[in-house]
Amino acid sequence: MLERMNFKKTLFVLSIVVIVLTGIAFSGCTTTTPPTTPQKQDLLIATTTSLYDTGLLDYLGGIFGPEYNANLRITAKGTGQALELGQNGDVDVVMVHDRAREDTFLQNGYGVDRRVFAYNYFIVVGPPSDPASVKGMTATQAFDTIYKKAQTDPKTIFVSRGDASGTHAREQLLWKNAGYNYSNIRASGSWYVESGTGMGATLLIAEEKDAYTLSDVGTFLAYEGNLTLVPLVDKGDDLLNVYSAMIINPAKFPDTKVQLSKDWINWLMTPKGQDLIANYGVDKYGQQLFYPARDNWELLGVTQAETQTPIP
Amino acid sequence: MAGFLEGLSPIWQGLQQAFNLLISLDPQILRITALSLIITMSAVLIGSLISIPLGSVIAYGKFRGRNALIWLIQTLYAFPTVVIGLIVFLFIRKTGPFGSLNLLFTPQGMIIGQTVLVLPIITGLTISALVAVDLTIRDTITSLGATRLQFLISALKEARFAILAAIALAFGRAISEVGAAIIIGGNIASPGNFYTSTRTLTTAITLETGKGDIALSIALGIILLLIALVINIVISIVQNR
Amino acid sequence: MIEILDVYKQFGEKKVLNGINATIERGEVFTIIGPSGQGKSTLLRLINLLDKPTRGSILVDGVDIHLSREQQAIRRKMGMVFQKPVVFSTSVFENIAYGLHFRHIDRDVIRAKVEQALEVIDMAGFDERKAKSLSGGEMQRVALARAMVTEPELLLLDEPTANLDPIATHKIEELVRHYNRESGTTVVMSTHDMQQGQRLANRIAVIMQGKFAQVGTPREVFGSPSDKEVANFVGVKNILTGNITGSEGGVAALAVDGLTVKAVTSLPVGTRVWASILPEDITLLLSRGKQISARNVFSGHIVHFSPRGPLLNVTVDCGVKLSATVTWRSAEGMKLKIGDEVRLSFKASAVHIMADGGGGPG
Repeated sequence: MLERMNFKKTLFVLSIVVIVLTGIAFSGCTTTTPPTTPQKQDLLIATTTSLYDTGLLDYLGGIFGPEYNANLRITAKGTGQALELGQNGDVDVVMVHDRAREDTFLQNGYGVDRRVFAYNYFIVVGPPSDPASVKGMTATQAFDTIYKKAQTDPKTIFVSRGDASGTHAREQLLWKNAGYNYSNIRASGSWYVESGTGMGATLLIAEEKDAYTLSDVGTFLAYEGNLTLVPLVDKGDDLLNVYSAMIINPAKFPDTKVQLSKDWINWLMTPKGQDLIANYGVDKYGQQLFYPARDNWELLGVTQAETQTPIP
Repeated sequence: MAGFLEGLSPIWQGLQQAFNLLISLDPQILRITALSLIITMSAVLIGSLISIPLGSVIAYGKFRGRNALIWLIQTLYAFPTVVIGLIVFLFIRKTGPFGSLNLLFTPQGMIIGQTVLVLPIITGLTISALVAVDLTIRDTITSLGATRLQFLISALKEARFAILAAIALAFGRAISEVGAAIIIGGNIASPGNFYTSTRTLTTAITLETGKGDIALSIALGIILLLIALVINIVISIVQNR
Repeated sequence: MIEILDVYKQFGEKKVLNGINATIERGEVFTIIGPSGQGKSTLLRLINLLDKPTRGSILVDGVDIHLSREQQAIRRKMGMVFQKPVVFSTSVFENIAYGLHFRHIDRDVIRAKVEQALEVIDMAGFDERKAKSLSGGEMQRVALARAMVTEPELLLLDEPTANLDPIATHKIEELVRHYNRESGTTVVMSTHDMQQGQRLANRIAVIMQGKFAQVGTPREVFGSPSDKEVANFVGVKNILTGNITGSEGGVAALAVDGLTVKAVTSLPVGTRVWASILPEDITLLLSRGKQISARNVFSGHIVHFSPRGPLLNVTVDCGVKLSATVTWRSAEGMKLKIGDEVRLSFKASAVHIMADGGGGPG
């Protein structure tokens, strides 16, 4: 009898806790967002982890959202996964950084209205001891040197994302530029490690192994405090990292929120949007994470329209 | 390389920040926790409404393949959650059979995933609980003139503590599951609309670590542990009734 | 009220009931006695529709219950209490109300009926007690009330006191008698306790190897067992086997292991028979005492004492071993001890004779 009372009491207390928690959560919600018109439109974006993990999109969304009565819902995947989601119409916008696959994506009619909104540089990072002595080389030279050194020196290790992300695609391109067949590289021995996961985790793995890896600058800066790895190569056209946004083709997926997608991408390309991108993170890291694409179309090798003309 | 003690200090700092977040009732943490509880409770509720009648029918049914079915259900206890996530994902995405319902990356989609996860657990344990009801009790129910439905309800009443324990166990499995939650939910923070957010305790811990937000992950981990603790207390009270 | 017609029941290869036949009258207490594993429970379960017979039929008020489509309605005319005292994990009140809820009886009516039932079983005020916390005897009383509160025409009791102490057993027996008398409920009860059968039953059926070996009043069954197995089971002590060697005026001489026993029978000379004598019918006398006129007087010495409650069974070796019942007081008065020479006497009419291998009550 007594035990059963206690049992009922426990259930009762549990349900109270849940109700109170839910209540607090909702009240928290209403106080953090101003009560505007109730019909807020959701915009679903698939993006890459390297872009999302810098916090840039949350920051931009926090400004764009109230202005356009929109609610950005962002899911972070590798570029490959993000494009795959777009290809199946599971999102409205994809924001990625792999020019070659973007082209295929557009040609196959899955996406429309590509715009380039930002760029920065990939960096080759490695242990301060730099066993292959790649500091100061171009990225392509560095990769060639790392491969050759690794054949004789067991301390030279390379960690690859191995997850079909944009960064992974760039790594493969660099192997190719250095004159190697990527499948041969993968199969060439224990010096080449694939993490199969996001940029942050990959950096941590490289840190544990005292290995080289290719990273985007944003994620590296976010993690720098926890790492002894240092940037070894951070310049050169072969490290250029260009971020684009595309709308999922409404002709294929009529549910796509075309107007809001256009608003979002066009807003990113406005001088205001570009300034926000340029200044993001400077106060925190003491250096620029992203460069605005607007006036640099020649450097990026894209059309002027892609960096300046709003989507009609 | 940092020494052991120096290496402890970032963990210690993370813990301190985590406690500060918890004590200050950080709204982000509350949102994530509430969403997790709502999703899992809904899944367990829906799962129970399906599994308990289903389990009753299987437990006391006489049909060909009953034993094989029970064996199959018990095998499904260990169904990998990422595979559940993948299957549900393929069915609810735009190009999947239920694509028009727009369930991918929504809490509703996550509820479906967790429901699939808890179904075999609650069904299987309901079967075990009912089979364990004393034979004389079952005969007594029949003998007192129960209809088929009255019989099942009475047997469920007799097995109620074991079934409650099953529900608590399923709750624990579902709330601590991460594989399906990431694939189906996508760890989306939806600052403008609580009901379209899909960031739960487990997905946030998994993916926010990737952003370097260690304190948040630790705080969420503590909450998850507390929930597991409460579930364990419920189960042991139920079993020692 | 109930007709059991040639009922067989088999579980897989195991034959449990092998052609049961009986008629049970409305209002009687019908007791099935027999050793464990002889199918007592199975028969009761068949009557309660908890199992189906392999062959044969059971009629209640002329309806074959296993063919009827109204199984629910038929079962609701019965109540059953099982050997193992079980209660539902809820209050005593709700336990007793269980069958009434199934019948969608009004809440107020249920309350009144349950309160009254609690009075009858002497557990008034136990309403809110957790039933699982009761003693075995109390649980069985609750089980009895739970069955009786639905006012069944037929009460089936499957060894209801097998797991209970004597006091609890006594209470249950009183209740069964009460329900039978006050409500006119027909009672079919199984037991392996002979005395209980004797105490409660209007008629007793002895079940042996899945058949009724004998059906009759307690006096018939205990006084005139139909065969040796029944006699053995109902506790008849003095079983003798021999041949009729002579007959004179209805009194036969029976040769048993060198003794000649006189017995009243009409069986012809030369018949091989078995005989039994109730120990209560044998008088024990000291060897030195007066002469007596009984037909059968044998001398022997005491080999064994076995207490039987307030009485004492004394086994005497007179060439064959015979048991006589005396009170403890007279045993003390006669200062009986092992080895003492004594005489046993009994009337020729006290010897119950059956042709060996013959069936049916003599």
